[in-house]
Amino acid sequence: MFLKVQLPWNVIIPAENLDAKGLLLQRSIIIRLLEDFAARKATKDLGYYLAVTTLESIGEGRVRQQTGDVMFPVVFSGITFKLYRGEILEGVVHKVLKHGVFLRCGPVENIYLSHLKMPGYSYMPGENPVFNDKVSRIEKDIVVRFIVIGTKWLEAEREFQALVSLEGHYLGPVS
Amino acid sequence: MSGEEEENAAELKIGDEFLKAKCLMNCEVALILEHKYEQLQQMSDDAGNHVSQVFEKSQQYVKRFSRYKNPDAVRQVREILSRYQLAEFELCVLGNLCPETVEEAIAMVPSIKTKGRAHDDEAIEKMLNDLSLIKKFE
Repeated sequence: MFLKVQLPWNVIIPAENLDAKGLLLQRSIIIRLLEDFAARKATKDLGYYLAVTTLESIGEGRVRQQTGDVMFPVVFSGITFKLYRGEILEGVVHKVLKHGVFLRCGPVENIYLSHLKMPGYSYMPGENPVFNDKVSRIEKDIVVRFIVIGTKWLEAEREFQALVSLEGHYLGPVS
Repeated sequence: MSGEEEENAAELKIGDEFLKAKCLMNCEVALILEHKYEQLQQMSDDAGNHVSQVFEKSQQYVKRFSRYKNPDAVRQVREILSRYQLAEFELCVLGNLCPETVEEAIAMVPSIKTKGRAHDDEAIEKMLNDLSLIKKFE
């Protein structure tokens, strides 16, 4: 699910950029915010950080004693993406293995659909391996509608993994 | 989120702070990211601004998975769904998956039928009909 969030943030402007005044300073703050935001990538609470949409406010700068940098407290609105347990979404198969497939959904690459969670499907090995049931195929580049049964936050990599399932009505490959 | 209640979007148990957060449909995000992308291109002389991996992958995704492309249609979808006393989360799942029948809608968003809420089948059917009309005239 894509979320619109409002966040406080501390933007640090190095001393040498502080000659700029007014609009140029504001531009430096915005650029710095965008860089920090992109570098953050994701957090456990809000999910993946996509984009800053509006800068709501810039507070008064405070000089940091040791470095001479100035810290500006800002508030901005942005978009994030997070997977919720129990949520139903659509994604694309990007890898097929004997025991299941990996899906891509939004910015998340590590979404695993186990064979055990594909009722009625059997694995067919080959150059283009596929899971078949009587009427449909699950193979690379197919769109699948699934339900999220669990998510995991990986602190070191700053990303999420998810386990999903096709158990339920109206789930499975989408034509 | 409290430790006792396990997260479950199907029952709308997604944490109090998220129940009140604004959710966005894929088609809304597609329009926003397109606009952002154009803005960033214009700023590209500074600091070598190129978009993050997260942005790129997300933009690819929402472009492919938007049921509505026209900005007016996107606005109308939000407006129509907002009339039905849905949580933001529920509204967006419906706007993203565009169920065709009442049965499918309930399967996609089970919480609309639980918690003693007054969403009878007729109301859901009307909502789905209104959505499909927007699609027809997009």
